[in-house]
Amino acid sequence: MTTPTGTDGHYPHAAIIEAIDVFKTYDTGRVRVEALRGVSLAIGRGEMVAIMGASGCGKTTLLNCLSGLDVIDSGRVAVDGVDLSTMSDNDKTEYRARRMGFVFQFYNLLPVLSAVENVELPLVVSGVSSRDARKRALQALDTVHLSDWAQHKPAELSGGQRQRVTIARALVNEPAIVWGDEPTGDLDSSNAAEIMDLLVDLNERHAQTFVLVTHDHGVAARTRRIIRMQDGRIVSDEPFGAQPTASAATETI
Amino acid sequence: MDSLFGLSMTTIMIVLVSLLAISLGSVAYVALRNRIFFAMGLRNIPRRTAQTVLIVLGLMLSTLIISAAFGTGDTLNHSISKQAYTLLGHVDVAIEQDNLATAGDSEGATGLDIPSAQYERFRTAVAEAGSSDIDGVLGVRMETVPVTNLDTGLSEPVMTLTGLDAGALAGFPDVLSVRTGETLDVGSLQPQEVYINKSAARELDTSPGDRIRIFVDNKPTEFTIVDVVEDRVLTGVGSESIQQGLVTRLDTLHQVFGHSDLSFIAVSLTGGVRDTLDLTDSVELDLQRLIRQNRLALDISSTKKADVEFAELLGNFMTTFFLLLGLFSIGAGVLLIIMIFVMLAAERKPEMGMARAVGTKRGHLVQTFLSEGMAYNVVAAMVGAGLGVLVAFGMASAMGAIFSSGDFQLSIEPHITPRTLIVSYSLGVVLTFATVTFSSWRVSTLNIVAAIRGTEDDRRPVQQRVTQWRWVLLALPAMAVPPLGLWLLCRKGLGLAWSSWWVLFSIPAFGIPPLGLWLLLRNGFGLPAAWIISWGGLILGALLVVSGMSSDLAFPFALGCSLFAAGAARGLTHFLKLPHRPVFTAAGLALLVTWGLTAGGRIEPLVGVLSGDIEMFFLSGVAMVTASTYVLVYNADVILAGVSRLGDVFGTILPALKTAIAYPLANRFRTGMTVAMISLVVFSLTMMSTMNLNFNELFLADDSRGGWDIVVEENANNPIPDLPARLREAGSTAPDGFRSEGVIGRAEDPYATNEVRQGPDGKFDSYLVIGMDDGFISASNLPVDHHARGFESDAAVREALLTRDDVAVIDAFAIGSGGFSENEYGFSVSGIRERIRVFDPIPLELRDPVSGQTRKITLIGVMGEGASSNFVGLHIPLATYKEVFGDPELSWHYVGLKDSSQSRHVAKAIESTLLTAGVQAESLKARAEADSALFRNFFYLMQGYMGLGLFVGIAAVGVIAFRTVVERRQQIGMLRAIGYKRSTVALSFMLETSFVTLLAIFSGVGLAIWLSYMLITSDEFPEGASYHVPWLQIAFFSAFTYLASLVMTFIPARQAASIPTAEALRYE
Repeated sequence: MTTPTGTDGHYPHAAIIEAIDVFKTYDTGRVRVEALRGVSLAIGRGEMVAIMGASGCGKTTLLNCLSGLDVIDSGRVAVDGVDLSTMSDNDKTEYRARRMGFVFQFYNLLPVLSAVENVELPLVVSGVSSRDARKRALQALDTVHLSDWAQHKPAELSGGQRQRVTIARALVNEPAIVWGDEPTGDLDSSNAAEIMDLLVDLNERHAQTFVLVTHDHGVAARTRRIIRMQDGRIVSDEPFGAQPTASAATETI
Repeated sequence: MDSLFGLSMTTIMIVLVSLLAISLGSVAYVALRNRIFFAMGLRNIPRRTAQTVLIVLGLMLSTLIISAAFGTGDTLNHSISKQAYTLLGHVDVAIEQDNLATAGDSEGATGLDIPSAQYERFRTAVAEAGSSDIDGVLGVRMETVPVTNLDTGLSEPVMTLTGLDAGALAGFPDVLSVRTGETLDVGSLQPQEVYINKSAARELDTSPGDRIRIFVDNKPTEFTIVDVVEDRVLTGVGSESIQQGLVTRLDTLHQVFGHSDLSFIAVSLTGGVRDTLDLTDSVELDLQRLIRQNRLALDISSTKKADVEFAELLGNFMTTFFLLLGLFSIGAGVLLIIMIFVMLAAERKPEMGMARAVGTKRGHLVQTFLSEGMAYNVVAAMVGAGLGVLVAFGMASAMGAIFSSGDFQLSIEPHITPRTLIVSYSLGVVLTFATVTFSSWRVSTLNIVAAIRGTEDDRRPVQQRVTQWRWVLLALPAMAVPPLGLWLLCRKGLGLAWSSWWVLFSIPAFGIPPLGLWLLLRNGFGLPAAWIISWGGLILGALLVVSGMSSDLAFPFALGCSLFAAGAARGLTHFLKLPHRPVFTAAGLALLVTWGLTAGGRIEPLVGVLSGDIEMFFLSGVAMVTASTYVLVYNADVILAGVSRLGDVFGTILPALKTAIAYPLANRFRTGMTVAMISLVVFSLTMMSTMNLNFNELFLADDSRGGWDIVVEENANNPIPDLPARLREAGSTAPDGFRSEGVIGRAEDPYATNEVRQGPDGKFDSYLVIGMDDGFISASNLPVDHHARGFESDAAVREALLTRDDVAVIDAFAIGSGGFSENEYGFSVSGIRERIRVFDPIPLELRDPVSGQTRKITLIGVMGEGASSNFVGLHIPLATYKEVFGDPELSWHYVGLKDSSQSRHVAKAIESTLLTAGVQAESLKARAEADSALFRNFFYLMQGYMGLGLFVGIAAVGVIAFRTVVERRQQIGMLRAIGYKRSTVALSFMLETSFVTLLAIFSGVGLAIWLSYMLITSDEFPEGASYHVPWLQIAFFSAFTYLASLVMTFIPARQAASIPTAEALRYE
């Protein structure tokens, strides 16, 4: 059994996410895939972490299990000190609505709603009044420089704009943790760099925890810590000090 | 059933089976030549079991409706013809006295008594002719009499006493003992003996040996029952309403009644009961020749063959009636099939894109869909045809029960022919095949890159105007079809014999030229679609409006307005670049208003009289529902904006509500189709319920009884000159409660002895003439809807009837009002328009075709429709009646009571007091209620049948719900990720269904209420007719539709809610 360790043996901040000896297996009847094989880690509050690895190494599964989107077979996942396995589905859902934000590779916006309606959705779900929800959604869109596109539907936006709407949606309820699953995977290099600039800026300004799953070194290079996975296990967990600029990142990419 | 729409069922079957073979052959071709595409199609079927089941259910509904209509026709045809065979037995031809002998230019009718000498001469003539096709000639006399069972004390006011010529019974083994089944010999009866038929024995609780008493001319005669016999025409089944009868020797009957006349002469053809139809035509000719040669005043009045053909006709009528009623549902079913395939295509777009990318042609995609569709189709049509048979049996049984509750006795026996099953199945498969082919062709058009990437299709660039001669060549022959359509319409439809079926058939021919024109202009000359639609709509619309106005027809007028509005809308947006939403919304509203106002006759002050028939019900329904759906779906985002604005009012369901409205709005085609399907059926159901209720209210209204409470119908053999005196004489106090009393006189068979014509040059036609005594005229309060000039009030009309002997009023049915068809009783009055309440007095002439006596009178009023249902006929003063037709054979006494609520009780008291006179007393209110119950139940049956269409709409909701779960899997994952609870996801689905279904229900109900209001309050209905809405019924089927839709959505909603979030997010 491995124990969770920080970048240099201690956490730079108090741990907001803690995983201990997590196992997760997918069994389709014919095929059995051990996606996570005893993963342990801890992520501190305000950290910006990249989880990297080859396709099928289990990084998305780890993100899903840490965020409570998926259930684990054994081990323990605690967020903010609360063991996710003790929470009911509804509790986890409510917790996600209030404390987490998600950014996905394919945006996952509702095509039938406008940008501002997509952004305000988590607030409406959390019971925020319509007026406040709209106000905060517009502010969030302003943060990602999309105020002028608030009434446009996803189909009318470019890929970069859609991902910025997703980021606005992820941030609108001021979550403690933002999860990103290949957040720049569907973008060209210039848009990808812009998105990463935005995420880094938000991380620095709001001290929110960012956990990004990526196979892109350019993206990982913008974070402070890189966790590498292989065959469902963490094979390295290292700090990454450099903070290349957008142009440098573009070159890397 | 042997024919439909004038075409032999065998021909129809051969054509359909050929089309079925072509359909199946097409798929077989795909299977043999392109096995991979055939396999691709079939392997899609087991991918989603629940969806497959739902598709099969959706596809089978059209076949079910078709099969149910055919099955109902078959069952009724079989049951009625069986009843005809059973009741007629060996009576193949009936011969009656001919009136033509007395009035040469008369339309002619039979029905008078046959003197015994004529009978004897006829028998002799037949015997001398020695025809081997005839094995019996029998003289029959029927009299209605009141009967009392002296042993049980039970009585019946009306039974038929039948006298059979004992010496001529050979060839008529129809008097069968119920007990032994053997043929009884009427000739063996003694003068005081009778047989009693089964129905009469049941009513009187008699058995052999019982004594009964009949009254003739108020004098009693007693008989002994010798045996109980089967119900047959020859044992006293006189009509549909009088089944109870006695049978005795003809000479016995003549002795009791003091005359020697006959009612008819029965002729039996050589053979049994069912195998003589083929002989009928030739024997009929022989008999007519014999009658002519011997100068007999006889004529053939009916034949068994005609009765069996009538059964066929009724079966046909029911089939076509239910097919027509089912058109809404069949149409909805076709929409459902199109929608299913559009959705299947949407689901498989990336696969199809990939297939196209690796070299698959568009035709191959069509073949794949066709293979899959036909696999569903072959099974679905089989299930549909089978279930349709069950529905048909259910409907026929219900019909039997409904008719049995009235006067008409009919025992229903489920029956279906293999031919009908083949026709239903083939029609279902062919209809679905055509729809699937069309849908497959439509969905196979895709942009390969967009399909693979799952993005929106690019808009197709406007084609350059390049002439494509192959399209020009294809389109030109299509343009040549109008002459064929016109020929069919004029020659077959409107030609020698009016046939609505040919009109119906020929109209599609007129649909081909527009298609040809479209192909020519769009594909041939490459003109923009908007250009063609706008100019085509404007020009064709204007032509139809002008044509409608010049021919006074509502349909072309309303259709023309619709095309004009659509063309104008397209033109305004295309040429003037006006915004789409206001322009098309305005066009949709214009259509709604046009059809509503046209159907309600409200537009006539502007454009003149426009007449329409039952087609306006169907067409205005389809047009209004289409327009309404368009306007609603186009503007439903207003609802979303409203929901967003109200926001917090909805509390925690707001997020679910927003997505529930947003999703349907994002797919307007799918939503519009579903709304249209449900709305169309709800519209038709609401319309029927509302019209039914309002007709009921109209006919049950107090003034429809003309101020009378009870009608007392005399028995012709026991006249009652003075009803109150006779009642008092019998010790009854009933007359003390009389407020008024009046008498009308009429003939027993008015269509044989009453004739009327309009103007000096008109043709005399049969019509019921009623003679009213002064008591009836002065105490009647019959509402008159149309008044002649100079008689502008009801009081003026009544005064004229009292003081003059040359005036008359007539029922509303005689001017073609009160229904969808013209008066079918023969005579009808022209020159009175339904919507114009005052007319110039119309000269009429009465004639008794037997005596040749004539009399000129003037028509001064037309009764309201409610009253007309109780007082049918041309009403004249009694003195005038006697002058033309002599003393009336029947007198009906009308009684007004001081306390109308006692009408049932008093009627019963009168009937029991005068039982021996055979009077039938009935509360007019009770009679109206019973009649209305009969029609109401039939309406319920029709509604139930039309309600089958609701299942189409409900199936559509289910198909969509299952589909959306698949379609939105990833989005559901995202929603769950950002905080949607399972219950919120499920709720969102339920709310989405609620939104679509309720929109459709409100649209259908609203439109039907509006249209029915326009109709009921139009000039076609009596002045002051109040409007009623059957809210309870509407609430019932609306709630059923809504709840059934929710039930359909429940499983997919649960599926959606239980999708694992992480898995859903991975899903592509």
